[in-house]
Amino acid sequence: MTAPPRTGGLLPPMPRTWWLRSAAYRRFAARELTSVFVLAFTVVMLLFLLALSRGPRAYGRFLGWLGSAGAMALFAAILAAGLYHTLTWFRLSAQVQVVRVRGRVVPRGAVAATLTAAWLAVSAGVAYVHVWW
Amino acid sequence: MAGGTIELRVTRYRPDRSPTPWVDTFRVPYDDDTVVLDALNHVKDEVDGTLTFRWSCRMGVCGSCGMMIGGEPRLSCGAFLRDLAPGPVTVEPLRHFPVLRDLVVDTDDFLEALREVRPWLIPRRDAADGDGEGRQTPAQVDAYRQFSMCINCMLCYAACPVYGQDRTFLGPAAIALAHRYDMDSRDGGRDVRRRILGRDEGVWECTFVGECSAVCPKGVDPAAAIQRSKVDLALRAWRVVWPAGAGR
Repeated sequence: MTAPPRTGGLLPPMPRTWWLRSAAYRRFAARELTSVFVLAFTVVMLLFLLALSRGPRAYGRFLGWLGSAGAMALFAAILAAGLYHTLTWFRLSAQVQVVRVRGRVVPRGAVAATLTAAWLAVSAGVAYVHVWW
Repeated sequence: MAGGTIELRVTRYRPDRSPTPWVDTFRVPYDDDTVVLDALNHVKDEVDGTLTFRWSCRMGVCGSCGMMIGGEPRLSCGAFLRDLAPGPVTVEPLRHFPVLRDLVVDTDDFLEALREVRPWLIPRRDAADGDGEGRQTPAQVDAYRQFSMCINCMLCYAACPVYGQDRTFLGPAAIALAHRYDMDSRDGGRDVRRRILGRDEGVWECTFVGECSAVCPKGVDPAAAIQRSKVDLALRAWRVVWPAGAGR
């Protein structure tokens, strides 16, 4: 806005706990918070590359850490958060993108389901290449 | 059939009487057809004539009777007491707006945001005078129809935590109405609105909480309008390297 906000009238400041007000706000906060776990996964991947670049001993130590209980717990949390983050964004993507087939708008649920199915198919392909190739 | 009496807890604010708000409790009669607005009018007519609130049409069209009812932004003319029984029912002024008196809020910032996005048809450059009535196909109308249903009730602003934290944000309804005209095949003002929507206080402030769409009494989806405007602006920026990728 060009004009600055008016200051007339009583306007209490927004509390820091605004996101606790409703279930919808809490779901939003959870969605945003899960992106931290997505970032954590990226950091782990960067550390993986760093260890690889430092030679066999550093790489071996990194692999040892990957097998630890702490790393397993971290990856379990990353997986759960990543699933929540991904599925919520697929649902929102369907709200943003209008998809038409033969001139008719495809229902949002069908768009989200298609995205999820495509994602599962790609994930299965990656898992197949990683595990069996 | 519902009926009897129900308790209303109404937040009051009169700067000439007290610098801080307080809550008044009223017990009002109701039946199946009584809405919160009726109850407030009962209080004003029968109990306390100083109670101040806005209303006009009583049928969900004018958009002037929005307030927080049970903590949710709603039109008081559409909030039936039978659905809120046994109560008590809390009634507060719309959140995120400066309160002037009781349930009346200052709407000037919203009206300024609305004016800024040019929510009217800006004729296309290629439209010559005397082109006629600007006919549209049903598909062209469907592209913007739902966004044209906005009644400027500002419930979406009360539901938007982004606007609550930064009141320079253009906000859901103003952007939805900008999108309504952007999507109109008769309009040629998209570039003008892109400059407004693309500013810091435009669409990029939105974090897609989505509650603006959830509370809209007319089924408008401002959250979708904002995200689609983001896509349009991003494609516009991308056009430098991929000219075929941007829309009109």
